[in-house]
Amino acid sequence: MKRDLHFDVTYPHPVEKVWLALTDPQAIAQWLMANDFEPRVGHRFQFREKPQPGWDGIVNCEVTAVDPPHRLSYSWRNGNLDTKVSWLLESVPEGTRVQLEHTGFRGVRGWMACRILGKGWGSRILNRNLPALLAGWTGEGPVPQIPEAQCRNR
Amino acid sequence: MALTRANSGDVFAAVGDATRRQVLDLLGKGELPVRRIAAPFSMSRPAISQHLRILRDAGLVRVRQAGRERLYRLQAQPLRQVYDWAAHYERFWKDKLSKLGEHLDRMPEKGKLR
Repeated sequence: MKRDLHFDVTYPHPVEKVWLALTDPQAIAQWLMANDFEPRVGHRFQFREKPQPGWDGIVNCEVTAVDPPHRLSYSWRNGNLDTKVSWLLESVPEGTRVQLEHTGFRGVRGWMACRILGKGWGSRILNRNLPALLAGWTGEGPVPQIPEAQCRNR
Repeated sequence: MALTRANSGDVFAAVGDATRRQVLDLLGKGELPVRRIAAPFSMSRPAISQHLRILRDAGLVRVRQAGRERLYRLQAQPLRQVYDWAAHYERFWKDKLSKLGEHLDRMPEKGKLR
């Protein structure tokens, strides 16, 4: 699986409790968004937020994996981009280690970075320099490129 | 921040396809006629034209007539929306994970949810 966004957090709480916070619709609404989630593979649901200008506030999802209290995945469709959100929970002495992955960006994001950045790249470069480069680049004319090999390295 | 803006869905759909990204790469080197764009692909001209139309509708290429040829050039500003979109989710999840932590601290250790 191609990883795009990856977060790794440890909470000082038992894994069952964290699982409940991730799978109980009322609990999810407290920290994420209003929803009609059910922990059942194939269940289609929505996350809803207050609509903003240009966004209807709706994320369309379908549960793709439920393995209590360790693994939960759902698709995350927003506009025309189809991504996936996966939660991995693990009991550790300090509590529960939570790994969150939001995948499906990389094809587009990596391609953009390779085309737009003039030199080697990593997440720091991507996060810090890309917005600046984009701000300074009019989008007209030749796009600065880096060798294909360098793009494939990451 | 808005996740999608008017018409921006087209940009995401447009760059979501590998062939169209290759087309944009070609055009990144300069303005080209359709026959030159089609050359590296084992694909019919109508198929390439269809890809070019999607790119044009997304505002990613501009076309002009030069004699008998139609010349395409890259128009990359809309890509900014794609970058903003991914950057948005980085902030979004950091914020939500911190809210999850606060929620867990409030939840009773045993028994039912509040």
